[in-house]
Amino acid sequence: MTVRAVVLREYGEPVRVERLRLLPPGPGEVRVRIAASGVCHTDLHVVTGDLPLPLPMVLGHEGAGVVEAVGPGVTTPAVGQTVVVSWMPSCGECFWCATGRPDLCERAAYAAARGILPGGGTRWLDQQGEPVYQFSAAGTMAEAAVVPAACALPVPADVPPTSAALLGCSVLTGTGAALRTGRVRPGEQVAVFGAGGVGLQVIQGARIAGATRIIAVDRLPERRAMALRLGATDAVDPSEVDPVLAVLDLTGGRGADCAIEAVGTPETIAAAFNSARRGGRAVVVGVCPPAADVCINAFALPSQGKTITGCWYGESDPARDLPDLVEHYRAGRLRLDELVTRRFALEEAQAAFAAMTSGASPRAVLVP
Amino acid sequence: MAIFADKEALYGVLGAFFETLPAGPHGPLIHRVGGPILFTFHRPEARILWEPLPGGPPEFAVHYDAEQPEPLLRFEQDADLAHRFWQGEVDLQDALARQQIRAKGPLARAMKLIPQLDPVYLAYRQFLAGRGGEGL
Repeated sequence: MTVRAVVLREYGEPVRVERLRLLPPGPGEVRVRIAASGVCHTDLHVVTGDLPLPLPMVLGHEGAGVVEAVGPGVTTPAVGQTVVVSWMPSCGECFWCATGRPDLCERAAYAAARGILPGGGTRWLDQQGEPVYQFSAAGTMAEAAVVPAACALPVPADVPPTSAALLGCSVLTGTGAALRTGRVRPGEQVAVFGAGGVGLQVIQGARIAGATRIIAVDRLPERRAMALRLGATDAVDPSEVDPVLAVLDLTGGRGADCAIEAVGTPETIAAAFNSARRGGRAVVVGVCPPAADVCINAFALPSQGKTITGCWYGESDPARDLPDLVEHYRAGRLRLDELVTRRFALEEAQAAFAAMTSGASPRAVLVP
Repeated sequence: MAIFADKEALYGVLGAFFETLPAGPHGPLIHRVGGPILFTFHRPEARILWEPLPGGPPEFAVHYDAEQPEPLLRFEQDADLAHRFWQGEVDLQDALARQQIRAKGPLARAMKLIPQLDPVYLAYRQFLAGRGGEGL
């Protein structure tokens, strides 16, 4: 079959929609008719070359849709099942999977770095019959995609696809950074650097965890306003004030119990570390280019006894964590519908990237 | 909102206070550091240089927008933090650990003055009180 998909052919060039041949799902794979695909900064990192991956590539790694075909050996999900697409095809067998960290699965990382599925190769071919790679075993910016069956996670059909799509990456990543990596506890004070697609979910995760003060730091007024609507108690504009000083002021001079960075720059990572209290935690969820280094004060390491760590996909096990998130959504604790203020056609992917970076839309979503 | 609206406001308050130091009892402290000290501020962007004069203590000059290629010591900080520091509200060690103040040069020469700065902090608070908030 042929489908339309958003393809990046050269770093730094505009993406474009191409008609590609989509091969049938292989063993352990399913074909998902995509109903919605979120637009994430990580997609933009691929476009700019900050996250170098093989090209040409179909972008998109958070999506939702309906299973329309299954490959040999697949028992779940079934055809007709509404699913969220996860971008972590963990193998369940490697050291990390066996020790409870499927987010660090070595086979998934191998496949993602090569733009292929764990089963080998890509399922996309262009008009010349050349392979088109698949972003993080997903490639959801398309009318349909073949993904590992284990990455097609059932969700109730009544969750709007534009909201369900967000569950696939930004929600798992952001809430996981607060709930699992940051281990935010009731009554704690949390600083969140960056209130974009992931940062807003960090804020929701911190609120669900019971944090009593949540400080959102972002340069864009639209994002600060949304952060306050979603549970932040304070909003700081780092272009107006030193954000570390502001966090110290708002936490009684002590610093945040947990500071979570969701921007992906060396400066904001250092600021998050610097704003954590003595003995506190700093969590990096923002993705820097692979060659970037962070400078932090060496004296702070022994003298302030903080923990700094990071997480990939919010330490999530999507199959384990997604049902909880759906429950939070149904109970109104996890607010997603209001984040999707704009929908774009596949042909408008470039405009969707612009809407994301300008702050005009908390989460731009492509609807094929 | 930043404490100092612009560079001129910073020079008019913090700079004016620095200029009172040579004539007061604290001038010799500056000489004990042993060389020029360059303060670089952000929000607003500004630079002030303390330059000990050959005549010896307590004389030193305060230069604005200074370009000193090789000061003995450099301190870089947010202007709001500097305002608090000179009122005695900032733990220098903590501010260094948090990178709120970045220092270059033989920091120990400045650190050994810290215990003696209490009267200077008091002087800045009195200086501010005397101005009745003017310039802030």
